[in-house]
Amino acid sequence: MKKLWMISLALVLALTLGLSVTAVAEDAPDIAAIKARGKLLVGVKADVPSFGYQELGGEFEGLEIDLAKLLAAEILGDESAVEFTAVTAKTRGPLLDTGELDMVIATFTVKPDRLLQYDFSKPYYVDAIGLLVKKADGITGFADLNGKTIGVAQSATTKDALTAAAEGAGYNLEFAEFPTYPDIKAALDSGRVACFSVDKAILMGYLDETVELLPDSFASQPYGVALKKGNAGLLKLVDDKIAAIRTDGTADGLVSKWNLPAVDWAEVDAYGASIWAEAEELAKAQ
Amino acid sequence: MNGPFSWRNWLTWFQDWQYFLQGFGRTLWISFLGLFFTLLIGVAVGLVLCGKSRALKRLCKAYMSFFQNTPLVIQVFIYYNMLPKLGIMMGTVTIGVVSLALYTGAYAADIVASAIRAVPLGQMEAAQSQGFSYMQSMMRVVLPQAVKVGLPPMTNQAVNLIKNSSVMAVVAGGELMYCTDSWSGNNLIYGPAFVMTGILYLIICLPTSMLARHLEKRSLKDA
Repeated sequence: MKKLWMISLALVLALTLGLSVTAVAEDAPDIAAIKARGKLLVGVKADVPSFGYQELGGEFEGLEIDLAKLLAAEILGDESAVEFTAVTAKTRGPLLDTGELDMVIATFTVKPDRLLQYDFSKPYYVDAIGLLVKKADGITGFADLNGKTIGVAQSATTKDALTAAAEGAGYNLEFAEFPTYPDIKAALDSGRVACFSVDKAILMGYLDETVELLPDSFASQPYGVALKKGNAGLLKLVDDKIAAIRTDGTADGLVSKWNLPAVDWAEVDAYGASIWAEAEELAKAQ
Repeated sequence: MNGPFSWRNWLTWFQDWQYFLQGFGRTLWISFLGLFFTLLIGVAVGLVLCGKSRALKRLCKAYMSFFQNTPLVIQVFIYYNMLPKLGIMMGTVTIGVVSLALYTGAYAADIVASAIRAVPLGQMEAAQSQGFSYMQSMMRVVLPQAVKVGLPPMTNQAVNLIKNSSVMAVVAGGELMYCTDSWSGNNLIYGPAFVMTGILYLIICLPTSMLARHLEKRSLKDA
């Protein structure tokens, strides 16, 4: 009998507590969890200058770092209430799935099939794929790469985009995939690959006196904030914030602050819309 | 069901299983050749260690210390990115075989040497008293007995070699681990990819280490 009393008491307590919490907070559960923690956990790149870069043991800096701080200010009212974790192409997905990160802002290109795995915000930047070659090799354009090996990053969209371009032109390309950007640069220097190809903004960080960027550009790469599926509240908040900073010019300010080429937002939106439409088609087909 | 192990992710893996098979084949090929040269190096260096030439012994000890005490991944990186600067351009399969053989060979030499030392000295003396030369006694009398002692630990090294072949993924080696990294990166599907790759490694390594255990038991029984 005593036990029954205890159980009903516990039930009543739980109910009133639960009710009072829902009554006070209007936040979605995903945002409420961040507020309860008092910190936003963000995965960023540590090796991409201008986007997410960390000097040895120093602070993270770059456009994506600034964006994360803006989001922390929006959610928690304090732009320093954000904890950065360096991610790579291989770790960013699993860290989202395990819940160790709230979001990943790490030059993550939005692609239709990726939208089936994770939720992405609307793009906050768009880049194109570029080609970095050694000056000594005498390569002047995409055509000279016919039959050569291109070094690309694992989990990058470069391979697909270049394969499509090569097929269109009737060229034949080989690919070698590497885990990090410095690995690709080393392979370019040692002559293992004829060309280092990733997003242009990333290539800018690897320019030195022995290499040069070819004039060619391929497929636009819109970057989005990635979230684990099912965080609708947080996704909407991020989307709203990105829309707001685009309207009030903050986004353009950040782009120029980090010396990045200006973004044509109308083009980004048109391209973005086609990606989400394509993802819906994919989802239906399965 | 969503998440890394959703049925859709498994389905995608099963559509592309042949890509993994191709990587698996290359892992087997690199491991097989690597093991062959490991045994050659192991026996050659092991014989030197038990021999009389002090200069050769010192040379072999230097080789073993260097390769046992530097990470394999750094050795592979040097073959891949530094040697081309000296005009030596090896393909990734060759790098895999050379690096695994030199690395595992350094351990195999120790095994061979201690297996030879485990054979009673009297065996060598008896063979030589019958008119066999040193080399003949080694090949016909001592080594066949040493094999029994050395085989179980050598089989463990074979398992290590197969697992270590996965470091080739860092230099675009095209073997199983590289295929897994590449595929899971492209699809953002890592759940089924890594589970199935783990199973594929298990398929080769488990029977090998079971063989080692069996051989060990048998040699204990004989002793």
